[in-house]
Amino acid sequence: MPLENPFQDPLRFERRVPECAAVIFGANGDLTKRKLLPALYRLAYDRRLSAGFAVVGISRTPMSDQAFREKMLEAVKEFSEDTTFDADVWNAFAKGLFYVAGDIGDPALYQSLAARLAEIEASCHTGGNVLFYLSTQPSQYARAAQGLGAAGLGKGAGWRRLVVEKPFGHDLASARELSDRLHESFDESEVYRIDHYLGKETVQNILAFRFGNGIFEPLWNRRYVNHVQITGAESIGVEGRGAYYQEAGALDDMIQNHLLQVMATIAMEPSASFRAASVRDERSKLLRSIRPMTADEVRQNSVPGQYGPASIGGNDVPGFRQEAGVDPQSQTNTYAAVTLFVDNWRWAGVPFYVRTGKRLAKRVTEIAIQFNPAPLHIFDQDGAGSAPNLLIVRIQPEEGISLKFLSKRPGSGMTLRPVSMDFNYGSSFGERSPSAYETLLLDAIVGDATLYTRQDMVEASWSVVEPIQNAWRETKTDFPNYPAGTWGPVAAEEMLARRGHVWRKP
Amino acid sequence: MSATVAPDQILKELAELWVDSGKQEQEGGTGVLRACSMTLLVLAEAGDDTQSLGETVAMLMPEHPARTIVVRLSGQGERSLTERVYSQCWMPFGQRRQICCEQVEITVSDAALKDLRSVVLPLAVPDLPLILWCRSPRLPHMPEFRQIAAMAQKIVFDSAASPDPAASIERAAAVAERGILLGDLSWTRLTRWREMLAQVFENQQNLARLPLVSNLEVEWGGSRYAPALYLGAWLRDSLALMGVHPSLQTSRVAGDDLLAVRMTGESFTAEFARRDDRMVVTLDGASQCTNLPQPTDYLLLREELGIVRRDPVFEKTLASAARLLHP
Repeated sequence: MPLENPFQDPLRFERRVPECAAVIFGANGDLTKRKLLPALYRLAYDRRLSAGFAVVGISRTPMSDQAFREKMLEAVKEFSEDTTFDADVWNAFAKGLFYVAGDIGDPALYQSLAARLAEIEASCHTGGNVLFYLSTQPSQYARAAQGLGAAGLGKGAGWRRLVVEKPFGHDLASARELSDRLHESFDESEVYRIDHYLGKETVQNILAFRFGNGIFEPLWNRRYVNHVQITGAESIGVEGRGAYYQEAGALDDMIQNHLLQVMATIAMEPSASFRAASVRDERSKLLRSIRPMTADEVRQNSVPGQYGPASIGGNDVPGFRQEAGVDPQSQTNTYAAVTLFVDNWRWAGVPFYVRTGKRLAKRVTEIAIQFNPAPLHIFDQDGAGSAPNLLIVRIQPEEGISLKFLSKRPGSGMTLRPVSMDFNYGSSFGERSPSAYETLLLDAIVGDATLYTRQDMVEASWSVVEPIQNAWRETKTDFPNYPAGTWGPVAAEEMLARRGHVWRKP
Repeated sequence: MSATVAPDQILKELAELWVDSGKQEQEGGTGVLRACSMTLLVLAEAGDDTQSLGETVAMLMPEHPARTIVVRLSGQGERSLTERVYSQCWMPFGQRRQICCEQVEITVSDAALKDLRSVVLPLAVPDLPLILWCRSPRLPHMPEFRQIAAMAQKIVFDSAASPDPAASIERAAAVAERGILLGDLSWTRLTRWREMLAQVFENQQNLARLPLVSNLEVEWGGSRYAPALYLGAWLRDSLALMGVHPSLQTSRVAGDDLLAVRMTGESFTAEFARRDDRMVVTLDGASQCTNLPQPTDYLLLREELGIVRRDPVFEKTLASAARLLHP
């Protein structure tokens, strides 16, 4: 049994971070340069990493350790947001950066990696702890895991963990197959499927808001909630990723993972504790409670969209089919809206409207919970007097929580008007929030999987999305059906109107 | 004629601040959001650096929004209390709405100190904690301090700023025994220092060698006496948790800014020395140097305001440090 460090002071010290080596597959890729290395550097800057922390970059390009360090230095300088560059911190951090060149399918790569890890373990005292991060093409995930397993790197003196980026398959069958392949070398408890949305401070704050306070939970059910709207809108287009996006689409790229995870967080039952297994069990249960749709229900309860060309603020913006690398007849959805129902006692009959899209009117991610109106309108007025109570959880860009309610307008007479009470997360706590990758990387290093997605959650999400996917594939939609810069297709408005509801314009 | 203040008048002025802000918003100005998580009562001497204190309080507000009541002690003279009310606002980067906190400044002569409680009590924000930050080294010795301190959920002081740090620690230990929450900035200054030491022993190999430690030496220079006492007490208490009971020597050395710990035993030496914003960790002869600047008042207060509950490690260390003074 490991000894307990008597000098720890959890009330004042940052979380305990074990010594380890992080092995990044795809070290020459965009994600490593834009997100991973800047996040690790920031953790080093904040003294959150152990003294012996090491990074081994892997990609096919031959490169020396020194050349890799120089490349990562450029990346950190270019992509670190709100972080001052400190040469001393960098120099200490860079001493722990190493590089191994090789092809993921080549067993020799894993022999070189094993030798390099043994050297690092001896010099940096990492205790045999290794975090493998697959930042490669998804088609390489299984091969990398298999290569690690075959070389005996899936087990060692310390812990071994495997971080996998989305997409986790492209349908239910492929997601299961991927999990099976990963499990040949790593136990499920060692697989960390990353969904960076869950690392966002405000998504975590939903848990604090719901389960740290006593006043909201009694209202959090079908008796008081009329419906819920979850919006993940982007104002930009595919930004040169047309070829990739054409294969994915909004439904797979956003709803299957990010927005269903957000929905699970907002709708899950309270967990018995804040331990990873407990929280993930509740998320998983909620995802499994979402009613899968029949083909007929898909037609009633979902709307695909694709943006067409438009002029926004005097600038001509191309439609999706005019983007580079996109088939001019593409049937890819750049917008998706679905109505989901949760089959449990808490939420039975409450519609959850989930929408996402590219080139919408503005960039915003939020959850709006609309409460039932007062049972009796004693104030004789229409319009503002009947405005619903709304609780809005804003995830980005201005993170916070707003409550909309009615108030008497000053003056004689009883005229009501809606007012908004705002809690602004970023400014009420002026401290810099860690980026999602900083949070999630640190969680993986300390072995906290609370914010990571488990296999059963992935499969439950695909079970919800796959019937929609299939129905949309079988139907040819008359795209484009919304101009860039708007809030999406008219059909999406009609979908809500059928239940007497209206999309918010955040 | 002596000057007085009326709490009701101050509260009215505070309310007017928000009405004015609301009017500005309606007239097309930027919106204002009021934020408050505590009442921060600062007791400072009139000669205390006004600008520096103001900057520290302003920096604290984004993370610990508070109604701040700064009490300036004007010393001897006729019985006098005066006040000034204003708001402290900032515009978060990239946002349109200002965040504002209320600030009240009260100047009080020693003769009027006994009236301070009756002024502060109505001004404290209901249902939120009141934290007292005592910057005045002489106030804790005055008879009025006890009734002022009784209003607070937590008292923050700095034993190193006291003319007699040892007496300050002894007095604090006695207060803590009565169950009052305390924070000593001399202890807070050690947090990053202690964290680096703890990090070395996160390594199981290093940790397994701790039972070899038979001797602890703490060296200090300049005004580091209080932190040295705390360090010695904390190290001894921590090692005792492992059943290790080394001897402890504390000694003053030349040099203004040194605080060092040496842990030695059979085939084991670990040294942690901080001097001039640098921490050097030496383990069995191999050294590593890290940047570890002295924390500012803002950083120290930020940490203390975040802990409004029992702090078992500090409470135990404070009691042990007091015992070290009378072995």
